Amino acid sequence: MSDEAGQAVAEAVGRRPILGGVAADGGYWEALEAGDFRLPRCPDCGTWRWPAHYRCGHCGGWDQEWVPVDPVGTVYSWTRSHYAFDRTQERAADVPYVVVLAEIPHAGGARVLGVLDGSEDELRVGAPVTGTVDPPGEKSKGYPAIRWTIAGGGPA
Amino acid sequence: MSTRGALRGATAVVGIGQTPMYKRGTSPDPELKLCLRAVVAACEDAGIDPGDVDGFVSYGLDKNDPPKLAGGLGTRELRFSAMNWTHGGGIPGAVGLAAAGIVSGQADTVVVYRSIAESSGQRLRVAVAQDDTAAQYLVNGIDGPAQMCALRAQRLIAEGVPPEALRAMALASYHHAQQNPDAMAYGRPLDEAAYESSRWIAEPYHLFDCSRESDAAVAVVLTSAERARDLRQRPAYLLSAPTGATGAGAGLEESHTPYASSNFAAVARRLWAESGYGPEDVDVVQVYENMTGMGVAALIDHGFCTIETAGELITLENLIAPKGRLPVNTAGGNLAEGFIHGMSLVSEAVRQIRGTSCNQVPDASLSLMTGGPGDPLVSSALFASEDRL
Repeated sequence: MSDEAGQAVAEAVGRRPILGGVAADGGYWEALEAGDFRLPRCPDCGTWRWPAHYRCGHCGGWDQEWVPVDPVGTVYSWTRSHYAFDRTQERAADVPYVVVLAEIPHAGGARVLGVLDGSEDELRVGAPVTGTVDPPGEKSKGYPAIRWTIAGGGPA
Repeated sequence: MSTRGALRGATAVVGIGQTPMYKRGTSPDPELKLCLRAVVAACEDAGIDPGDVDGFVSYGLDKNDPPKLAGGLGTRELRFSAMNWTHGGGIPGAVGLAAAGIVSGQADTVVVYRSIAESSGQRLRVAVAQDDTAAQYLVNGIDGPAQMCALRAQRLIAEGVPPEALRAMALASYHHAQQNPDAMAYGRPLDEAAYESSRWIAEPYHLFDCSRESDAAVAVVLTSAERARDLRQRPAYLLSAPTGATGAGAGLEESHTPYASSNFAAVARRLWAESGYGPEDVDVVQVYENMTGMGVAALIDHGFCTIETAGELITLENLIAPKGRLPVNTAGGNLAEGFIHGMSLVSEAVRQIRGTSCNQVPDASLSLMTGGPGDPLVSSALFASEDRL
């Protein structure tokens, strides 16, 4: 999907603009919006490219395809935030909350951030996680978001 | 020897200037005035007329650009200006830019500076990360450096660094601050129990693992090594100050490798190659700590220890002057002296070469400063006394 299309989607759902990073990730948010978890891959050389970029640094290709990916991985790292930071005040009522950096082995080891839902009993580096997609919401600044759950952990 | 470039030993810091540290939001002066005070103080320290400063360098998002300073300094001619990318990661490299300006003949007297006052700017941690935080983070409840560094520190611990190493970094900074009347933590010692019982910010970080936010300004003046010898202070010669990253580094939104790192590996290799020294030669280190874990990772990346030996080296006893194996943050550092976006670490690295630190390491002749760890770009600077050139 084009960046222009991504911008249009953002405006349509009233997302607050977020500046920073490489803004080639429109396809990620559009897919999540449709309930799908997709990550970018270079159609020319097959290299997974996360975070998304405008050009494949491996082969020089200018295209990217957004590939449906099974949202299953492991906890690469995590942190439990005990403070409502300035720019994420939407989650102040959730403090303390855990954010997981999940590694997706079948997508080139891409690491994808998401808030942890459900039991924290088995939370540790290496724990298996599965993802579900949340629709755009206030806490996620009008964006859809992937939410990780420890596999087999069950509801909190 | 071919890796030793034209910058090695060709310039020196000849003046340092520092305003008092004010708790965030309480500076009596606006940011630009603090900046002027620090630059003028650095010039007076060097015995140089502020109007003779002809080069200006800062890093990441500094708003106090040279034309705003020139009127107050009486600048006769502005000949060189530059700014290093990124945030605290760029400080030592900014010193390197100043040296590049001098060695290439574009300027004679270059000031490197940083000024922060909340009263005339934004909250520091907002200003630092503004427009530089990808949607991936903010959508998922990650605001900025504290939480990003927490993710990396959690991994560092999972790979074998004991949490006690992080604690030792904090305790060493507070220990040294007790000898520094200008430090914000002066008169407020920290012990293991107080550290352990302090509130969590973002696990594995306690309150005392996190840097302060202060209002203050710091400046240092560089000139050629030849001229430095005729000035009033003992010169702190710059041996090397590379900037860089390994691959795309931390710009990869937590997908970078190695992850339990502070991004210094490539910079450190160039630092040691250009200077001709290695970690075993260094007498004292000023470690930029946004958070303690990244400071630990910076020491690992520079080769002072490995993940496996970090727990053995990084103990309070080893980290404190005058007799520790590797004294760090001898004025209190970002955690206990105050946080001027790391710039006060440059002036303290210079004091160690002069022999004027409040926690002097005896006969220190090689003094390292490592920049903001984990930034998308990082840099380090090695300062030396004359006998180490």
